[in-house]
Amino acid sequence: MTSVILVDDQPITNFITKKLLQIEGITIPISDFTNPAKALELLLEQKGEDDMVILDLNMPEMSGWDFMDRLIENQYTPRIVILTSSTSDMDREKALDYSFVKDYIIKPLNQNKISELCTKHCK
Amino acid sequence: MQDISKNSSQLYRITYEAYSKFANKISRCATLTEVGEVAKTHLKYLFNFHIIRITIAQEEGHIFFSLTKDAVDFDFNGEARLLTHEEELYEKEIPIHTTNIPEGWLERNLDASTIVEPELWGWLFNNHGRKVSVTLISDKIKNFGVGDLEILKLAIDCFETKFHEISLARLLDKKNQSLSEALNLIQVKNDEIQNIVNNQKEIIKQRTSEILEKNKKLLHISALNAHNIREPLSRIQGLIGLFPHFNNEEIRSEIIPKIETSAEEMDQVLQEVILMATKELEFLKQEIE
Repeated sequence: MTSVILVDDQPITNFITKKLLQIEGITIPISDFTNPAKALELLLEQKGEDDMVILDLNMPEMSGWDFMDRLIENQYTPRIVILTSSTSDMDREKALDYSFVKDYIIKPLNQNKISELCTKHCK
Repeated sequence: MQDISKNSSQLYRITYEAYSKFANKISRCATLTEVGEVAKTHLKYLFNFHIIRITIAQEEGHIFFSLTKDAVDFDFNGEARLLTHEEELYEKEIPIHTTNIPEGWLERNLDASTIVEPELWGWLFNNHGRKVSVTLISDKIKNFGVGDLEILKLAIDCFETKFHEISLARLLDKKNQSLSEALNLIQVKNDEIQNIVNNQKEIIKQRTSEILEKNKKLLHISALNAHNIREPLSRIQGLIGLFPHFNNEEIRSEIIPKIETSAEEMDQVLQEVILMATKELEFLKQEIE
């Protein structure tokens, strides 16, 4: 994994995720975006081979679903970890339709969840 | 050539042959007019008469059938008025033979100048419990005698049976008509009920659709609210989870303000949710009322 991209319209959430990743010992570059359109623009520009995106679903400018659809349209599907406060089963089931979604985490994010995530995807 | 009138057995055979023809034709009649035509043609071969009038007692009133050489008259609606001697016949059941003809009645039915010394005969027969009065007018020329009574009775029997059959057919027609009307009424009412049922079905369908739509909206609002509330709450929980990794100064300067911001946002969202729920409850209350 070469970089982690955080996409959440709430800067505080990005702050928490970033801190927890750093506490977990992640040293690779972590960039964060509150505007998904800008994150998409960067991802499609770089098309890094081993990037991981931690993505929120409910965002006012562009939903996480639209975000992923745009990636598919552009034939670029980095590893996605969904980080959402939604507890809806419909959202969880819908996420299964996207093969590049590697994990689905329900907020609040804490040290245990981050450790588990890193064990599976970062190391 | 032998005088037939003096050969009683031959006369008897001829009379009964005439009767047989008359009875056969009568039995085939379907209407009173047909009965009248058959009577006009064949009755004169059985016995002499100028007028023969038959009345039959019904549950209410009487029906009558009257025949002269040229005319047939009848009333089967039970509205026939009895002549005075007929009322007497029904009352006393004693046969009448008199020259005292009811005034005006004879003149109304035929030309009185064509008859000579008219006589009135009257009988009351009881046919299977049905009372039948018979009035016959004869005269010197068209003579009627006691010897003709037997064949007259047979003819009356024939008439009465046919009249009874026609009366029953008419009664049946009336009943059928009443049943048809009742059936039509039932059909109309059935259609009305069906319309009401269809309308109710349509209303239920519409209301069900409205309720489903409302439930869908409520479910969406509920999911949205849950998410909107959980979002700032999860941030507060996340921030609290960071406490062990920050010193007091960092917590005070970096974490607490973020908690405050998130708490304010959560308060805002909760107020919106409460307002929305209150409005929804008021709307539901109005709908119930």
